[in-house]
Amino acid sequence: MSVEVEVNEDDLAEMVGQVWESYLDPEGINPLIPTYDEHQPSEVHSSVSINGSWTGHLVYACSTLAARRAAAAFLAMEPDEVSEDDMSDVLGELANIVGGNVKAMLPPGALLSLPQVVLAPESSARYPNTERIGGVYGLWEDEPVSISMWHSRAENSEEDGA
Amino acid sequence: MKILIADDSRVMRQIVVRTLRQAGFGDHDLIEATNGREAFDMTKSENPDLVLSDWNMPEMTGIEVLRQLRAAGNAVKFGFVTSESTPEMKDQADAAGALFFIVKPFSAERFDEVFAPILG
Repeated sequence: MSVEVEVNEDDLAEMVGQVWESYLDPEGINPLIPTYDEHQPSEVHSSVSINGSWTGHLVYACSTLAARRAAAAFLAMEPDEVSEDDMSDVLGELANIVGGNVKAMLPPGALLSLPQVVLAPESSARYPNTERIGGVYGLWEDEPVSISMWHSRAENSEEDGA
Repeated sequence: MKILIADDSRVMRQIVVRTLRQAGFGDHDLIEATNGREAFDMTKSENPDLVLSDWNMPEMTGIEVLRQLRAAGNAVKFGFVTSESTPEMKDQADAAGALFFIVKPFSAERFDEVFAPILG
């Protein structure tokens, strides 16, 4: 049985803010500037699935340059030293951290998957029978970054168009 | 002191190491395990003084590592550094004998607060 989501966009924005404060912008000089544009483009993305008391996905999507900068910030490197593996690992960790924080706000009985990373746009991903229920969309040093939550609808829902 | 950092994410192991250094604990001998099974095996073979473990890992989860260590009679100081934190998980960690529960994202101040009493 599934319950209504108990995590709203303000909660998500607060979690994302903590990630910026801790890792991506500890000096407080390059915050994520909200665009409120859920259709902003991405070039890479990562996700974790949550199953149980709430079922869905948490997706972190951004441009390659934003991923490179995130990896540089996480790993204390220069952006041009960042390898593809570094980017993948950091993208996975970003989805994992925010997903873990989301899970903490859900009723007991939710399980978090290991992160999946795809070095392709979020638009290439398909989450069957899901709908986007909210997200944080913004520009980080002029590069698009979005963190969105997708809720799986009740079983046997066939409303999804291909 | 020898500290074992167990996390399947290379990035997070690196951040834990860096944060330990920032919090002033960089002089300790830091060793790393990349999954739960390795954490369990290295705790037995390397005999660390402290284990900092992720919760969600392949092979064995962090809580399984702790439970199996205790079941095997190993009393190593053990705590969690994890992005997941629910009351039920904290209860499980307490019941299994964990000393602390640090939630990601974390700060050097948080590490200092938790580890100063343990590491001196």
